[in-house]
Amino acid sequence: MSRALTWRAVLVWAALAALPALPFMSKFYLLLAFDALLFGAIAMSLDLLMGYTGLVSFGHAAFFGLGAYATAVLLERGIVSLWVCLLFAVLVVGLYALVVSYFSTARRGIYFALLTLIFAEVVYTFFRYTQTFGGSDGIQGLPAPSLAPGFAIDTPLRNYYLVLVYLGLAYLVCRILVTAHFGRVLVAIRENEDRARFLGYNVQRYKMAVCMISALITGLGGALYPGRSAFATPDLMLWTVSGELIIMVMIGGLGTLVGPVIGGAFFVLLQEKVSSYVDWYFIVIGLVLIFIVLFMPRGLLGIRGLLGGRRWRATA
Amino acid sequence: MDYLVAVLLPQLLHGLVFGAALGLLALGLTVIFGLLGVMNFAHGELYMLGAYAGIAVIGLTHSFWAALVVAPLAVGAIGALTEVTTLRPLYRREPLYGLILTFGLALVFREGARQIWGGDMRRILPPFTGSTPLLGMTYPNYRLFLLAAASVLLLAIWLFFTRTRAGIVVRAAVQDAEMLDGLGVNVPRVFTLTFAGSAALAALAGLLLAPIFTVYPQMGVEMILLAFIVVILGGMGSMGGSVVAAFVIGLAQSLLTLWMNPQRVAIAIFAIMIVVLIVRPRGFFGREGVLE
Repeated sequence: MSRALTWRAVLVWAALAALPALPFMSKFYLLLAFDALLFGAIAMSLDLLMGYTGLVSFGHAAFFGLGAYATAVLLERGIVSLWVCLLFAVLVVGLYALVVSYFSTARRGIYFALLTLIFAEVVYTFFRYTQTFGGSDGIQGLPAPSLAPGFAIDTPLRNYYLVLVYLGLAYLVCRILVTAHFGRVLVAIRENEDRARFLGYNVQRYKMAVCMISALITGLGGALYPGRSAFATPDLMLWTVSGELIIMVMIGGLGTLVGPVIGGAFFVLLQEKVSSYVDWYFIVIGLVLIFIVLFMPRGLLGIRGLLGGRRWRATA
Repeated sequence: MDYLVAVLLPQLLHGLVFGAALGLLALGLTVIFGLLGVMNFAHGELYMLGAYAGIAVIGLTHSFWAALVVAPLAVGAIGALTEVTTLRPLYRREPLYGLILTFGLALVFREGARQIWGGDMRRILPPFTGSTPLLGMTYPNYRLFLLAAASVLLLAIWLFFTRTRAGIVVRAAVQDAEMLDGLGVNVPRVFTLTFAGSAALAALAGLLLAPIFTVYPQMGVEMILLAFIVVILGGMGSMGGSVVAAFVIGLAQSLLTLWMNPQRVAIAIFAIMIVVLIVRPRGFFGREGVLE
């Protein structure tokens, strides 16, 4: 990484860390910033699959929702340690992701998309109708998780810093992965799966690995969600949520990591802004998506590439 | 015997009725997939628009029959317009973009319908009531009509694809659009008209089912998943397969409800599809090697 880029990264992180100090950052805006960063990080993890490996997952909402339910179930039973919640989420999401990725990665293209979609629908249907987990109401009125005994993440400010750390770690993991040999193989699979196989790579194992990593990052994001919202509902894993995550990646720019973070934040802010003026914001979001697909297929960061700047899309 | 007549037989007929309507929906989906390589996520919304267009026409003319003619035409026109303005520029791009585009279209249509007609559940009254004695039980006339109408339509579509020049051109486009272009056929026009036809079929299915189901802006979201399952089971791009699979799913759904609660049925159908995708991804009649 060049010196200029390092400085810019430091500046961005410093700005994000200083954000709550701004005078207009009320509790409401802090929670909005929480959502923006959380969904940014989740969209980034989806980009590992979509942008780098060329696999479109239509089931990421299930990883998110399972993570949220894992935390919610423990919080409901009085286990408020954040670490235990996160560990439990990793376990639950990991097990589910293992099954999904094993079967889904055996198939390509549209079949992968549909398999992930159907698996996610099974999970959605299960939680939607199981009374143990509150049925369609989900689990409501949860206590705040605590980082250490006596230190609860119970304010928007603490939640904000928690999600900032999560985003930072997730970004680090993703960045290291895509710059390492592993990432190069993923791009090779995206460009030509058969050739990657002929070169001797166990393509399915790579695809499974990236699927698991993406799912776990998303699941951990989900595990942080009940701390902010005090609930987990089946609507978190509706398949249209998976679609929204895809929109975020597309808005930001496939295969750029930073792009989807911006895309996720942009989506959350757009939804909030537009919905406070009109109640037909889904039309606006739909039109934005259509516009991007038609005229800016490389997303917000893609414009840079078109203007002759650095090419952001990862190439091997 | 009583069990057979009182329980099994009506459920079997329900399955056939639902399967026939599902077939209309899935047929359009599979043809579009064959042509453009795009799973049309907005197909459920075209189905929904069909029902609402029907409500609008019935409101004006008080005639279900007028709606049955006008609504599919109107939705077909919307489909043609959509295809020309949004899908046509994507022909040469990866199918992924088309898929995501249709997701955006679905959002716009769904929210548009909610804005125009509101989010409440609506009903369309069947054009006639009463029931007919049949095999020792009685069965609602409208459902019999629905089964007959959908079956006739399916047959007509089959004749269209096998016996008419236009139908053969569409099949040729599914096989090899580039070659067809080379033979001097205006392929983009074929795509547009086929998309319009598929939209009209979806609308027809939506309107025909409306007197049995309820009409609301989200109604397409649940239907589209079933239609996807049907298309995959039948084999992507296989029209005959889609129709067979539609009846299989229709029957499975209505028969399984005899022994399970609805959510278990939903999960069972998802499970069927997962198994098929893993064991035999080309479905019942899909061509070998297509997208495997």
